[in-house]
Amino acid sequence: MKYDLGKKIAALALTGLLSGVAAAPASAADTLKFVSWQKDEGGVGEWWAEVISKFEAANPGTTIEWTKVERGAYADTMTTLFAGGQPPQIVHLASFEYQNFAENGWLENLDPWFADAGISLDGWAGQQICTWNGETACVMLLYFGFIMGYNEAILAAEGLEPPTDFDEFMNVIEKTTKDLNGDGINDQFGTVVVTRGGPGQYLTELLNFVLDAGARWTDSDGNVTMNTPEMIEGLARWKAVINSGFTPRDIASGEGRRLLADGKVALKVDGPWLYPIMARGPAAADLKVTKPPFNPPVGGSSNVLGMASEISDEEKALVFEFIKIAMSPEMQSKYATVANSTPPSPTADVTGVEEKTPHFQLLIQTQQAAAAAGVDRIPTGLEVQYGEFSKMVMEEVERMLIEDLDPADVAATMQAKAEAIQGG
Amino acid sequence: MAIPRSQSGTTWFGLARPSRRHWLGYILLAPAVILVAVIIIYPLVVSVDLSFQKVGIARLDVARKPFTLANYEKLFLSPEFWKSCWITLKLVVTVTLLSMIVGLATALLVNNQFRGRTMARLFVALPWAVPEVIAVVIFSRFLDSSFGLINWLFITLGVTDELWGWFSDPTLAFWSIVMTMVWKGYPFISIMVLAGLQSIPVDFYNAAKVDGAGVWQRFRYITVPVLMPVLGVVTILVMLWVFRDFAIIKVLTDGGPIKSTQTLAILTYDQAFGFFNFGYASAVGVITLLICFIASYLMLGRQTKSMY
Repeated sequence: MKYDLGKKIAALALTGLLSGVAAAPASAADTLKFVSWQKDEGGVGEWWAEVISKFEAANPGTTIEWTKVERGAYADTMTTLFAGGQPPQIVHLASFEYQNFAENGWLENLDPWFADAGISLDGWAGQQICTWNGETACVMLLYFGFIMGYNEAILAAEGLEPPTDFDEFMNVIEKTTKDLNGDGINDQFGTVVVTRGGPGQYLTELLNFVLDAGARWTDSDGNVTMNTPEMIEGLARWKAVINSGFTPRDIASGEGRRLLADGKVALKVDGPWLYPIMARGPAAADLKVTKPPFNPPVGGSSNVLGMASEISDEEKALVFEFIKIAMSPEMQSKYATVANSTPPSPTADVTGVEEKTPHFQLLIQTQQAAAAAGVDRIPTGLEVQYGEFSKMVMEEVERMLIEDLDPADVAATMQAKAEAIQGG
Repeated sequence: MAIPRSQSGTTWFGLARPSRRHWLGYILLAPAVILVAVIIIYPLVVSVDLSFQKVGIARLDVARKPFTLANYEKLFLSPEFWKSCWITLKLVVTVTLLSMIVGLATALLVNNQFRGRTMARLFVALPWAVPEVIAVVIFSRFLDSSFGLINWLFITLGVTDELWGWFSDPTLAFWSIVMTMVWKGYPFISIMVLAGLQSIPVDFYNAAKVDGAGVWQRFRYITVPVLMPVLGVVTILVMLWVFRDFAIIKVLTDGGPIKSTQTLAILTYDQAFGFFNFGYASAVGVITLLICFIASYLMLGRQTKSMY
């Protein structure tokens, strides 16, 4: 009797094991994992929710497991997931970090998929950045230009207009920085420059001044071009702004946007994502947007969508369905109305978008201005080393501020170090 | 539940036989040992192995790269590594010393009889209960260079007439981390020392008083020697905590500015997840482990002698 029971248990266990193995491919396709840092972001988070909803409606039986990972921990989390052999099937990455994943062969080449589906990517804004080693590793989700949010009431109180160049910018931020309650501490600032939140964020802020001075990190062939008079001028401008006291110090990006939305800052230059935050703040009635005082504006690629290469064919087909929905004319149109951002699709119908996004034409203008100037936040030739490069630049610029170094010396140091990083 | 028996009547594996009775101990220990091996020893072995390879992003499902000492050569020739060692040492010594002083002082305080002692003990232990990241956020707000409470207090009290850049000045950034770590770490010392203090018989102090010993002499010749075993163990635990702590530094300063707060833990993280140099990061990790091991061994050895 004991042996009968043992045999029964063994048979049951074996059956369970086999049925589990047999069911594995089917059950794997029941759920697709999608990790993103944008889940709770106003506007774009709602857009993602709509893409997911449409996908699930079109593919009954398949659900999307949508998980939020904070931006600060995003690259490490994704690296760990991929290295551990458990990648999310739907891959969402920043455009400055996808290169390392593509270089490791973790992203599916999308060229055959687009060819089979007869989808052309001609005219898709910023799509060239998604080409890695001659293959399409991803789809560009956002190619943007920076805008400037400003507090009309603060500027009007000083009889000022929004600045249109660097000199006017300095004048405006000087006159609008004030100690309103007389406690000896400024509580209203002319602008807010983000210096906390990581090297990538630091470089993006610095790039406003570098580009306006006519400098670039590298040229179109990937040669480092940091030891130039234009770069020295850009660094000098950055030093002037930080040392002026017209910006609060040690501010992270979220805090900076919040300060503008709360009416404690006269103006802030930022990406299209600034507007939804401004619109929900207590000072919303006084806040307006216009083109930034820097020319060309900072802009370029933001984030990309791809497919993990080490998943089953069935899962790949489903992920491509998801990508197609995100790229569909309907969802691209909603990228403007729901996410308040410029859709990369050249055929997106944006008629009537101004009703929901009044500054939409401004977004188009700054996007085109950045594109026409060939601006991108990721320097050509340093894509894979971007993490190390951005940290090096941030540290050398911090050293310039702390030790009051000559920008010319700093530019020369950065040139040498960037070349060393590029050379491996 | 009945133990299955063979036909001869002995238990399975012959555990009842005197020569095999010790097997039971091994069998009972096995799950714990296997668990430890899987979650500690295996990653450790992988790390050591990776440190001898030139690896970008580590993967376990690809062939091993050729053996090389390049990571260690680069490490020992790198000024950044030695600077991180120096910062780690500075931080370990400063935080451990200050935490010990504050922890010992608060333990001595709440060991006395006074009204509200229970509440005082609660307040002393409170920082220990606060999650590390929450503590960092609190200090981050206090020390905010433009809107923080500390700068406002300093200006209001006339300590300074300008805002201090707590996270943009290398010296202040270091002390920001020290303050946060001491605040977070001293309650552990306080609780442990308090337990030690309560185990000291009152007779010792009474006898010392009869012999004319003052407060300082009683502290120096009774309290400290009896507490030494506790203080020794606590010192090692606090040192190891400071040595490997990551969250406080990462959230507060991220190792900056200009690497002034970059400890070995931050260096390891940056190399692995910032620059995707897993081989080099593993080499830093292995050296960190060796330093921790040697420091613990020396401290434990010294402590054992001082106890008796």
